Amino acid sequence: MDNFEPLIAVFSCHYCSYAAADLAGSSRIQYPPNIRIIKVPCTGRVSVNHILMALEDGSDGVYVAGCLKGTCHFIRGNYKAEKRVQYVKDLLSEINIEPERVQMYFMSAAEGTKFANVALEMTEAIKKIGHSPLNKSRS
Amino acid sequence: MNTELRIGVFICHCGINIAGVLDIKGLCEYAKALPNVVTAQANLFTCAETGTSAIKKAVKDNNLNRVVVAACTPRTHEPLFRASCKEAGINPFLFEMVNIREHCSWVHRHNKDAAQAKAGDLIRMAVAKAAFLEPIETFKSKVEPLTLVIGSGIAGMTSALALADQGFEVILIEKEENMGGLLRHLHKIAPANVAASELIEEKIAAIKKNKRIKYFTSAILEEVTGYVGNFSVRFSCGNDSYTCKVGVIIVATGGIPLRPEGLFNYDGKNVITQSELEIKLKKRDIEAKSIVMIQCAGARIPERNYCSRICCMVAIKNCLYLKDIIKDAKIFVLFRDIQAYGVENEALLLKAREAGVRFIRYRPDTPPVVENGKVKIYHPAMGKEIFLPADLVVLSTPIVAHDDAESISRILKVPINGNKFFLEAHAKLSPLDFAFNGIYLCGNARYPATVREATCQALGAASRACITLSHDTIERVGTVASVQEELCSTCFTCIKVCPYNVPYINERGRAEIEPMQCQGCGICVAECPAEAIEFKYISDKQIMAACEALLAS
Amino acid sequence: MIVGERKPMEELLGMIEDFERILVLGCKGCVTVCCAGGPKEVKTLSTLIRMDRKQKGRKVITIEASTELQCEPESIRPILEKMANQYDVVLSMACGAGVQTVAKLFPDKLVLPALNTNFTGIAEEHGVWTEACLACGDCVLGRTAGICPVTLCAKGLLNGPCGGASEGKCEVSKDQPCAWQEIYHALKRLNRLHYLKQKPQVKDWPVHPGRVVREDLREVETT
Repeated sequence: MDNFEPLIAVFSCHYCSYAAADLAGSSRIQYPPNIRIIKVPCTGRVSVNHILMALEDGSDGVYVAGCLKGTCHFIRGNYKAEKRVQYVKDLLSEINIEPERVQMYFMSAAEGTKFANVALEMTEAIKKIGHSPLNKSRS
Repeated sequence: MNTELRIGVFICHCGINIAGVLDIKGLCEYAKALPNVVTAQANLFTCAETGTSAIKKAVKDNNLNRVVVAACTPRTHEPLFRASCKEAGINPFLFEMVNIREHCSWVHRHNKDAAQAKAGDLIRMAVAKAAFLEPIETFKSKVEPLTLVIGSGIAGMTSALALADQGFEVILIEKEENMGGLLRHLHKIAPANVAASELIEEKIAAIKKNKRIKYFTSAILEEVTGYVGNFSVRFSCGNDSYTCKVGVIIVATGGIPLRPEGLFNYDGKNVITQSELEIKLKKRDIEAKSIVMIQCAGARIPERNYCSRICCMVAIKNCLYLKDIIKDAKIFVLFRDIQAYGVENEALLLKAREAGVRFIRYRPDTPPVVENGKVKIYHPAMGKEIFLPADLVVLSTPIVAHDDAESISRILKVPINGNKFFLEAHAKLSPLDFAFNGIYLCGNARYPATVREATCQALGAASRACITLSHDTIERVGTVASVQEELCSTCFTCIKVCPYNVPYINERGRAEIEPMQCQGCGICVAECPAEAIEFKYISDKQIMAACEALLAS
Repeated sequence: MIVGERKPMEELLGMIEDFERILVLGCKGCVTVCCAGGPKEVKTLSTLIRMDRKQKGRKVITIEASTELQCEPESIRPILEKMANQYDVVLSMACGAGVQTVAKLFPDKLVLPALNTNFTGIAEEHGVWTEACLACGDCVLGRTAGICPVTLCAKGLLNGPCGGASEGKCEVSKDQPCAWQEIYHALKRLNRLHYLKQKPQVKDWPVHPGRVVREDLREVETT
């Protein structure tokens, strides 16, 4: 379990969190290499089924990273995403999968450090929870 | 779309930015083995002429129909590579970009093995997604080179004149009998020390003279339909009804000072508002010797929780004019916080203090009490209540939204905030635009503003409008949502969740999304319970493919 | 529209415990509109079933499909016939009527309900539905200003409020307005208070199961 390197899918919005990830890069802030970004125009584009798919297809955790509340480029996409993430958490609880595997984060395009911190926080958290029960084959 | 998929992968060294950490040759070999990949090649700088030429050549040589570039961020370089695709003869949206610099080599510099594995994963995901890319066309629509300006205050008139000066025709509508807005009632404007009437008469004369501006007073906006470049507007003017086609709309409906009924014993005679004081100043009809001004009268309270910003400066200005007229006037200003931003206003505040105007701070829990020619106030420095003589009490009341703000917001389908001020698309990125393309805002309609600010905003809004007006047609990339009617259950979900009120039920009883209006957020796509809304730009199939490729099969 | 909601996963997973090939069958009618059993929910439920089985290390094949109207036999027949030997059980995401239509049409296949059918209701806002009609078979709304006492009065009273109403609220819950108080105010607003003085008609409660027949519409024997 000590060598467990989780695989984490990130749904990242074009206007804020993807830009924050870019800024983390240009600032050369180092963070764990466990995340895989899937870019969306707005986190409001991310449906319940997309998050479930990412889990079913083998990621140990998934998070949705949108703009700060009140600053969504599309007015309220990030609020919709937050509610959907909560719904997915409830669904996971129903089938006895740790709801903490799925999270919602908010960050501005200027928060490269926050992007890196979130990647670290999520990686650490998933390491504690352990392998996804849907992905026993991988070590 | 049954043609065989032929994907080309181009991996950028970015000098040593990527290649210093990642083994590009290894990534090329890896990419070559992925499904549907016909060629994978490395470029020293894919974005350089040599790189884009290499893409174009590879497309021709290998008959590619999808291009994947693994390099830096699509936020800066996607347009360039899309253009290369277009030049190579394939639809620019049959292109996928994967960021192995900002998201990989730069942030995992000390963990090369993991970085290499991650880059491989990202390329695999992009290639999987690329298989489901669909061509997206741009579409064009005509622009009516005409502007509707709503409101003829300083903001509306400035916008209208600015547009007319640029050669565009303007229809200016004003609901009042006279043009001029709030300034008609004001005395002088600080810090410029110009008579408001001068300013306004000049503008009104210019508008009346200008052949490109048609103005209508006592005009009420009734209906607006359409989209940027092509709005249909109906308004009435007395008993006449007018319809016109305009390309853009500027909202300059202004605001109005709050009438402080029931506050501080307001009676309009001995207790008046700053705007009533200005009328008196205009007529030089003031005899009071002791004057008390109360700031934040009806502002920054739970039911009106904002700072109206301009009232402190108005009070300071009027103190100075009062001092000019009545040399021995005793003036007290009771304030919560003084808002006098900018060097000139700060200087005026100092000047007022030097002229003997006394400023006393009060706290919202111990507000001043106005009674029988006196004002009772707790003086924080003295630590006790004192009584100030007051022949005249002047209340600095906030600018509030007009009663019809709500109906105008409904007609235009643009949002207002909790205080009924119009809400811009983004406070920093697009402060003069509405989220709805082609409608702009300026002046008090948006938030209390000084004459200077309103003028700047008006010029800004006019300039935003010019961007659209200066084109015969506007082009819109089809990165928008569209309803597949045969799948639609007419459940109204999209209508309820769209932040821009774009979807509607068409004559066939199904939801429809006007592509010129859709902003492309995808909220409705993810919410539609019938999965009837298509979003070619980032489709469910593409997301599914990327998810499936998270793990190497 | 008919409003339903998905059963708890534990119950659903228990029902399908014995089966490996499951047809998850949505309906594009009412249950799509109330976001309970349309194509999107079919995908969600199928994914959850697969995830559950995967973590238990058990095999499962889910087939996802949706009918136009599951209470209409002609809407189901082609879909189910085509796939007849691909599934062992139908997990229907339609309302109770839809589930029974499948059962009737395919007596050799077990059909299981994925939803609890709650009521005939109104979409108050996106995500909120409230009960509006009990389908009593003898509508009184014409006399009650469009407010249904049969549904909205906890006792289903037909002749005015009971003694339990207080300050306009029903004794059952403080959140529930007294239907008769609302009826009174609505009739007053419409200047039709005299409706209340009319003798309440004896209500023709239906015998279950109900059956509606329109002879003029029925197929005719032409031979």
